[in-house]
Amino acid sequence: MFHWLEKHPFFFAVGVFLVIAFAGLITVLPNFAQSSRPLIGAAPYSTLELAGRHLYIKNSCNACHSQLIRPFKSETDRYGHYSLSGEYAYDRPFLWGSKRTGPDLMRVGNYRTTDWHENHMKAPADVVPGSIMPAYTWMFTKLADIDTAYAEQVTVANIFSVPYNKPVPMRDGSTKIVKMGSSVEDANAMALAEAKVIAADMKDQDVKDAIAAGKIPEIVALIAYMNSLK
Amino acid sequence: MNKLYLWGIIITAAMLGFTYYTIVLTKGGMNGDIVNMLALAGAVALVIITVFVVIKYVRQMQTDTASGELADETWDGIGEYKNELPMGWAVMFLALMVWAMWYYIIGYPVNAYSQIGEYNEDTAAHNAKFQEKYLSITGDKLVEMGESVFLADCKACHGIAADGIEGRAANLNKRLEAKTVKYVIENGSNNHLLGSEMPMPDRNGLFNTKTGALLTDAEIDAVASYVADGMSGAGANVFASTCASCHGEDGKGMEGVAPNIVEFTPTLVTNVLNHGKKGAIGGMPSFNGLNAKQKEAVGAYITSLSSTK
Repeated sequence: MFHWLEKHPFFFAVGVFLVIAFAGLITVLPNFAQSSRPLIGAAPYSTLELAGRHLYIKNSCNACHSQLIRPFKSETDRYGHYSLSGEYAYDRPFLWGSKRTGPDLMRVGNYRTTDWHENHMKAPADVVPGSIMPAYTWMFTKLADIDTAYAEQVTVANIFSVPYNKPVPMRDGSTKIVKMGSSVEDANAMALAEAKVIAADMKDQDVKDAIAAGKIPEIVALIAYMNSLK
Repeated sequence: MNKLYLWGIIITAAMLGFTYYTIVLTKGGMNGDIVNMLALAGAVALVIITVFVVIKYVRQMQTDTASGELADETWDGIGEYKNELPMGWAVMFLALMVWAMWYYIIGYPVNAYSQIGEYNEDTAAHNAKFQEKYLSITGDKLVEMGESVFLADCKACHGIAADGIEGRAANLNKRLEAKTVKYVIENGSNNHLLGSEMPMPDRNGLFNTKTGALLTDAEIDAVASYVADGMSGAGANVFASTCASCHGEDGKGMEGVAPNIVEFTPTLVTNVLNHGKKGAIGGMPSFNGLNAKQKEAVGAYITSLSSTK
């Protein structure tokens, strides 16, 4: 057989390729599959959180804020546990960022609250002296795009089997079910219910009025997303 | 004499002459420097060895005849002799295999670099240093440590001066504000301030033992400003007949029953850091990234803010 291979360089090349490719597959794939599997405790984004994530991308928050905590003592002291790849399983695309003009936001939901975000997004320098972050006042009046967020949910649920309406394991051994609406109206109603909880902790009258009228301002969606980062 | 040797001698002489010219006869020259001399000796040796090795192999190609047993396999008519493995090569090959096994099983796995490993070592070293250096500090040093933790973790909400940045968070220079007291009386509270579940009832569960009725709005306002003003003013009666049964006549609380509402204590602050809280102003998350000593230090710092004033 080796004699035959030596006389047929093309098939010899195919054989070499197969051997190397096989070695690559068995060394790379299992590790890759293991580390990209959702970490226990990672849950898909709700409709409102996803709408907030779209706003985060739309306003280029990731140009100044990273979402990746490196394994250095100084960083884990400040931001919490270093990031693990399985935590990004439901991030499409991931928002690691490459520059920290502002602080990392990977786990901002652990140490900032709704009312802090509200104050901060209105006038960052009032809360953080010397901050160069601009104010995002229009977010308090413009409305969030829930329909697009729902469209993304349906897409990722169908194409990537993101487990909406299914139990996902949590760190304490319990399970959590992230619900996805059965129709656009249903999704809007669910997002509004979630937004009401957040708006209850907010002070801005425009926001409260909008929520009472059944509308969801951008800031509420963004805060929902910020609070979900843990 | 063979023509080959003649050429060898001519080339050697020419190269040695050229070396002599470039090194000894040019400006600077040997300069009496041992390194230059060694370099020259090396160059001479190199020239002679090169020429004679080349001559040896060229001679061998000219005169050698093939001998030995041919292998069965030929490649387009090119054959190969069955030769014994050279001993030196075989030994090196085997030694290398042994080394590869060692490297694969022990050498790499035991000594490999890991980023997380370095992080774990850093953290362990840092924690050991912390234990040794800071675990036993008390008094002013503890307050200083608390201030530095405060400036790192708390100032984003409570402000550098711990004044709550114009009502955006609690003003920690003062135990309680009238607004907060009023909110707690009206809505009750369950913030784990004592470290455990110990809810305070809302206004529908707070009786004024003197009047035998629920607290009125006016009474709430009065007692709120009484507490906020450091237990002085008009609400003293209401406090004595309603709040004192749990919070104590002096407002300093009772172990396991009600928290101190006159002054901060390190325990109170530690419990807030452990559990977070939600109240009149907004929510505060828990800060369990801090270790016990750091929490105690923040408690000491915040206690010092209002006690010195």
